[in-house]
Amino acid sequence: MSDGHAIATPGDDFHERTAHAVANPVLQKALHNLDRRLRTASTSAAAHPDWKDRAAAIRRETLLDLDGWLDRLEHSLTTRGVQVHRASTPADARRVIVDLARARGARTVVKSKSMATEEIDLGNALEAAGMTSVETDLGEYIVQLAGERPSHMITPAIHKTLPQIRDILAREAGTDLAVDREELTRWARGRLRGEFLRADIGITGVNFAAADTGTLVLVTNEGNGRFCTTVPRVHIAVMPVEKVIPRLADVGIMLPLLTSHATGQALSNYVTMISGPRREGEVDGPDELHVVFLDNRRRTLLGTKYEEMLACIRCGACLNVCPVYRNVSGHAYDAVYSGPMGKVLTPLLSGGAEGADLPYGSTLCHACSDACPVKIPLGDMILSLRADVPDAHTALRRRRRVFWSVWARAWSTPRGYRLTTALGRVSRGRVPGLRAWTSSRELPRPAREPFRDRWAKEHG
Amino acid sequence: MIDTLIATLRDNTCTVSGPMSVDEARAAIVDRIAGHALVACNDDVPIPGLAEAVARLGIAVLDPRDPQWATRLADADAGITGARLAVAEPAAIALTAAPGSPRGTSLVPPEHICVVRVADVIPTLADAMQTIAAGDLPSALTWIGGPSRTGDLEMITTLGVHGPRVVEVVLVT
Repeated sequence: MSDGHAIATPGDDFHERTAHAVANPVLQKALHNLDRRLRTASTSAAAHPDWKDRAAAIRRETLLDLDGWLDRLEHSLTTRGVQVHRASTPADARRVIVDLARARGARTVVKSKSMATEEIDLGNALEAAGMTSVETDLGEYIVQLAGERPSHMITPAIHKTLPQIRDILAREAGTDLAVDREELTRWARGRLRGEFLRADIGITGVNFAAADTGTLVLVTNEGNGRFCTTVPRVHIAVMPVEKVIPRLADVGIMLPLLTSHATGQALSNYVTMISGPRREGEVDGPDELHVVFLDNRRRTLLGTKYEEMLACIRCGACLNVCPVYRNVSGHAYDAVYSGPMGKVLTPLLSGGAEGADLPYGSTLCHACSDACPVKIPLGDMILSLRADVPDAHTALRRRRRVFWSVWARAWSTPRGYRLTTALGRVSRGRVPGLRAWTSSRELPRPAREPFRDRWAKEHG
Repeated sequence: MIDTLIATLRDNTCTVSGPMSVDEARAAIVDRIAGHALVACNDDVPIPGLAEAVARLGIAVLDPRDPQWATRLADADAGITGARLAVAEPAAIALTAAPGSPRGTSLVPPEHICVVRVADVIPTLADAMQTIAAGDLPSALTWIGGPSRTGDLEMITTLGVHGPRVVEVVLVT
């Protein structure tokens, strides 16, 4: 998961970055807006309590035979005239797409919001190949102009306040714009409309891909996904392998569950179901449709205790309820995927090379597990990743374990207890070698005179 | 079921009229678009003679077979389409791409008028998907629940980002 984006929250590790984020008053103000999402999402998701079970079952059915469903999907897509490309690494995926774009002489590429293209850092790869890559989701466009990356998978610019957004858009417009939603939206509509009409290629992600019919399902509210799949001559969809579902009929459950957890809507305002390129006689839609299956270590998770992470439908519900995310926002994670699901996915997709300290930045409250529409035990996974992925502080934690085992043995005998509590009174709760751990925790202050001494004095 | 559809679409900032007869719908649409200069009209609109009635008002009608269709569509004031079906829960209408019924009509102009037959309304999305998955699938099936919108500006809804700002559903019997 390489990336060349500037990181808005400074700091060497997660701990340091969270401190910066909490101390940033503008960010904290912007994050209050998350409360709006939280209220609507919880009410609409409560409408169909049995859907979570059904959706969880559909996702797990897929994972039982992921390779089989992918083969069936590839067959269905190919039958419909779609070209399928399999990419095992982000570099493979970038190469496939850049080669396709080059071979077609593409100059401008419009992108619809997609975490998969963030994961493979596609925008920068296209720019490096001499093309103009334009993000067309309004939030994503703002983030692109700011030289940052999304801080929330559903609302990429949640970390920006309206005056900040005005400044970013006005700089691009070269004119003054009011701090007014309508005016800013109108300007962006006009600017991006031009990009859509000019674009040679539209690139999107995929929300679900039905193996039985070879249908790609795309969810948007702004309509940018529709433009990307209507106007340009070529449409390329980047599909992480776990997006496959067995049957198109399954989206009757999966779609409302996704959108209610993502935005609190019973259904997003646009859902596009694409079954092949434009047909004979049709006047719009792409002539060519390509789907890139992206693995990036996902299939190595099959059969492990982290397999269920592949059930994730990227709704963002776990971010919205997470007490850590709600205070620090996405950039503090320094990763493509943030929040609870990012804490699990980042170390797993990078083989432990990235985000190894993320599982420690958790209160283990399991609000994420409760919020998850497909019942992924995120809290449990965060806890077990602490044991499974070594990070920079592993040595400190080993010292801590030694301390606890010594402590446990000492307090098993009256003599050991007397000795250590006497030491504790002298050191005032500080333990040599564990300052990083004890400095952020309040230890009870030992009484000046131990209870057993007082007892001995008054009753002995 | 129809009442649920109407109420939910209205909650989601659509305008809904009907159910009404085809003749009433023709008159209502003509009335609605008075003052427009150019209107795109798909073949799948279930109101015979609508294009002629619009043209009689002096409004230019953009036909999907127009060789300049794609460029002229950018100047259209409204797009009129039919729908393959609608579902009451969650409320949405489904449009199929076909020759004579391009995708852009419901996307590019600032106003989208969609004519839905009451007989084509199905109770739930789950029911509708069973039927759709078993039949012939179009190159693009587009579900529309309301106007183009975003929550990207401090999570407050703003309409008309890329697609239509106004969606009007006309129910016909």
